[in-house]
Amino acid sequence: MSMKYYLSLLLLFFSTALLAQKKFTLSGTIRDGATGETLIGATVKISGPATAGTLTNGYGYFAISQIEGSYTVVISYTGYTAITKTITLNKDIKLNEELKSTIDLAEVVVSATNRKNENVKSAQMGLERVDMKSLNSIPVLLGEKDVLKTIQLLPGVKSGGEGNTGFYVRGGAADQNLIILDEAVVYNSSHLLGFFSTFNADAIKDVSLYKGGMPAQYGGRLSSVLDVRMDDGNNKEFKFQGGIGLIASRLKAEGPIVKDRGSFMVSFRRTYIDLFLRASPDSSINGSTLNFYDINAKANYKINDKNTIYVSGYFGKDNIGVKDLFANDWGNVTATIRLNHIFSDRLFSNTSLIYNNYNYTVRLLNDVTNFKASSLVRDFNFKEDFQYFSNKHTLRFGINATQHRISPIDISVSQESQVNPLTQQRRYGIESAAYISDEWAATEHLNFLYGLRLAAFSLMGPGNFSTYDPDGNILSTESVADGKFYKNYFNLEPRFSVSYLFNEENSIKTSYNRNTQNVHILTNATSSSPTDQYVLSSNNIKPEIADQVSMGYFRNFDENNYEFSGEVYYKWLQNQIDYKNAAQLLANSNIESELLYGVGRAYGLELFFKKKFGKLNGWVGYTLSRTERKFAELNNGKYFPSRQDRTHDVSVVGIYNISQRWTFSSSFIYSTGNAVTFPAGKYVVGGQTTYYYTERNAGRMPYNMRLDVSATLEGKKHKRYQSSWNFGVYNLLARKNPYSIEFIDDPNDPRKTAAQQTSLFGLIPSVTWNFKF
Amino acid sequence: MKRLTLYLILLVLSLSACKKIIDIDTKDAAPQIVIEGKITDSLIDQQIRISKTVGYSELGIYPKVSGATVTVSDNKGNNYVFKETSPGIYTNRMKGNPGTTYNLNITAEGAVYTASSTMPKKVLMDSIGVINNYFFGNERKTTAAYLADPKNEANQYRFYLYRNGIISKSIYVNNDRLTDGNNLRIQLFFFTDEERDEELNSGDQLLVEMECIDAPVFDYWFALSEQTGRGPNQGTTPANPPSNLSNGALGYFSANTYQKLSATVK
Repeated sequence: MSMKYYLSLLLLFFSTALLAQKKFTLSGTIRDGATGETLIGATVKISGPATAGTLTNGYGYFAISQIEGSYTVVISYTGYTAITKTITLNKDIKLNEELKSTIDLAEVVVSATNRKNENVKSAQMGLERVDMKSLNSIPVLLGEKDVLKTIQLLPGVKSGGEGNTGFYVRGGAADQNLIILDEAVVYNSSHLLGFFSTFNADAIKDVSLYKGGMPAQYGGRLSSVLDVRMDDGNNKEFKFQGGIGLIASRLKAEGPIVKDRGSFMVSFRRTYIDLFLRASPDSSINGSTLNFYDINAKANYKINDKNTIYVSGYFGKDNIGVKDLFANDWGNVTATIRLNHIFSDRLFSNTSLIYNNYNYTVRLLNDVTNFKASSLVRDFNFKEDFQYFSNKHTLRFGINATQHRISPIDISVSQESQVNPLTQQRRYGIESAAYISDEWAATEHLNFLYGLRLAAFSLMGPGNFSTYDPDGNILSTESVADGKFYKNYFNLEPRFSVSYLFNEENSIKTSYNRNTQNVHILTNATSSSPTDQYVLSSNNIKPEIADQVSMGYFRNFDENNYEFSGEVYYKWLQNQIDYKNAAQLLANSNIESELLYGVGRAYGLELFFKKKFGKLNGWVGYTLSRTERKFAELNNGKYFPSRQDRTHDVSVVGIYNISQRWTFSSSFIYSTGNAVTFPAGKYVVGGQTTYYYTERNAGRMPYNMRLDVSATLEGKKHKRYQSSWNFGVYNLLARKNPYSIEFIDDPNDPRKTAAQQTSLFGLIPSVTWNFKF
Repeated sequence: MKRLTLYLILLVLSLSACKKIIDIDTKDAAPQIVIEGKITDSLIDQQIRISKTVGYSELGIYPKVSGATVTVSDNKGNNYVFKETSPGIYTNRMKGNPGTTYNLNITAEGAVYTASSTMPKKVLMDSIGVINNYFFGNERKTTAAYLADPKNEANQYRFYLYRNGIISKSIYVNNDRLTDGNNLRIQLFFFTDEERDEELNSGDQLLVEMECIDAPVFDYWFALSEQTGRGPNQGTTPANPPSNLSNGALGYFSANTYQKLSATVK
């Protein structure tokens, strides 16, 4: 009912636009002049009898409709020299342009024309785009540049822990981030238990993080969207680039399939810690494995002016093992086939077929046990997205259907093993969605971005589904046949953002959005673990729901050289999941009997000040926030802070281009310690000192503080090749940041209790050599 | 399993990992009643201990609770009155039987605490021994208990490991949810505060005690075992384990079988 109402309202807005004066369309694709890569989010602005502006979409495409006349077109993109053209709009016009990177100009160019006030004008809030060029100079652990560690330096985004790629956005849990790589969901985005991410920066073109004001085309997770897009590949010439670092090496090859029509990109990364292990003379050390690798591959081909096809894939794997004892491997696979079709200059469509899976295997090997446990999450996804460019409206609408299959755990063993074989029932679900949204430049001062998403989830047979009493005993079990719908949930997710411009440099924005989530992770570890368990919404688990409102003030200074923003948000969370004390999460068919359901709230203030250009650039971010959960069965039913509740979070990033060849950069972070449960008393049972707890997460870990620095030396320019050295020091102050605290009997006086802190990383230097030819 | 993976990573990645004693900020809680009671299948002075907690920052000298009325009754109609034989320790010489449910009733300092526990069927260890594990090139001697798990019944086991008379700090608790009906070899890694997995040496005297416990007592120990040795920020959020005692008392009441075996490390 209400869906129909909203839709008709939307169409009403839309048709008034159609009824207006006769208009012509300027459309085209904007690319990088050197590589032919499409540029995402480039600004196209026309001025003449009327003015209008737009951004290129995820495929570099744009369209603007305006009344007849002579116009000046300015196309700009940060880090590129802007192009100015004059056109006469008396028919529909195609304008495919290539921009030249200013980096090639051997000096830091600050062109006034590529200063746009996009952050001030757009109705979009809570969006952060990672500049892949600055990513190279931000210092990181062991010199492995990492998208996920860089976004942790932004306000509102909190690190999952020291050196960890896990992240929390505005009080959300780690599993509430939608992480997509070329539209495919990446379930586990970490390598080596979170110290590195699955995103090899060499193969990544664009990274956008939505902390709030999520556009309606995204759904399925509560807290954020991290939209990662791979490089398309150079369609002009063959290029190689790579790097040799302390723990990993990278190599990327790209080139045209057919010049200016199609290209490919293949990128490979592998760690080699285990090669050092292999060098050991000791047979049980040199038989151990500890590595991960990533392969990204992509190809695209422009069939004709109206159709372009993209095929991309990711394959990554971690292997850990001790000879004759233990082996654990895990990894993600994604594959995406996309077809861009331009129905008319104004109507752009993208059809995607997506496959992704995440799986892990654990083997225990010894003289009596030969044990193998494996688990799989697999999705097939079909998406159809449309984008319609009208005069003042950009309309997006589409549908999406995903089939999930979860194999929670399969245990197979040798005959004499002490563990019994077990196959836990698979779970099947279909998640489908339809959405429509409109970006509307209502007046010179007022911009709207509003839409609606209908999210449906169905839990399907075959399977046995149980209900439980509060003690976890089975009340009833229903057997559901193959292909039958067992449980359905429908959720309407309104999304609304508006910006009001006082002038070109000042605006306020506000947004509201609702998100729902039907795939949940159950974990009792802080950092992401390869053996995290995924569950679908069911008769017991209700879809998680988040409502977020946010408001912000946005200001640019000095011709856009400085950017300031302040945002406040409040978020209500429903149907949050925790588990009972003494829950047995491993290989438990009745795992849903171990769960607790509650609510949460999160609110905060984010301040961001950025200097975008010049020899010295960088940013300062500050977050003041609170994140709490409430479960009837925990903490006497009172709100308690989430573990990732950190009151203050400060990050400072500075990049200084000292000369053409030397770049220095540093990052500094400070954050309040995690909220943890400290004992309030102690007693003895079973001959051991045991701790008495009163309030959940009422204690604080010591604060975190770290300064990282790096220096990049660009090699002398050669015609054929280019190389650079990157030197870094992680934790320059060698501060012992807390990783965990244990309580022990005081070594000096066993009648006393001592808190023993473990720190992970001291000062860690790194060096990386990068090359391009 | 997860823990082993983590150790591997830490071993290789963080040769610089370090530990230090720090001060933390926490409030001392008011004293709470702690009850630890066991009825075993041996004819001995069965003990019910009643004490109180002390605050986190206080010395670990735990006040004994004297003058309590302690009785145990079973579902066969027997009543056992426990007498305070030393401060806070209440005893009665008796022998429990598998399959019998025991009900504890305590009146202490004006409050009543009750609990009930059923002694499971007795399962015996066949033997204990020492096995060698190779962990990154180092040979590790580990104590192991061998037993045959009975088929088609739920069993829960609690072990205590002593080396040269010193009790291991780890809580060893197992159930047969995934191992029903099999010959089990249960590895008991020796832990102290200083060392995660302390080496066994030739000549060490090992003593392993085994109890067959009921499901609520298993939950109690399992919850504790998930928390110990990990502390805040790692693993599960610590909380008081689910107790079978009423009225908010800490501790547990367990009717369990008892067996001990000893060996010398070769």
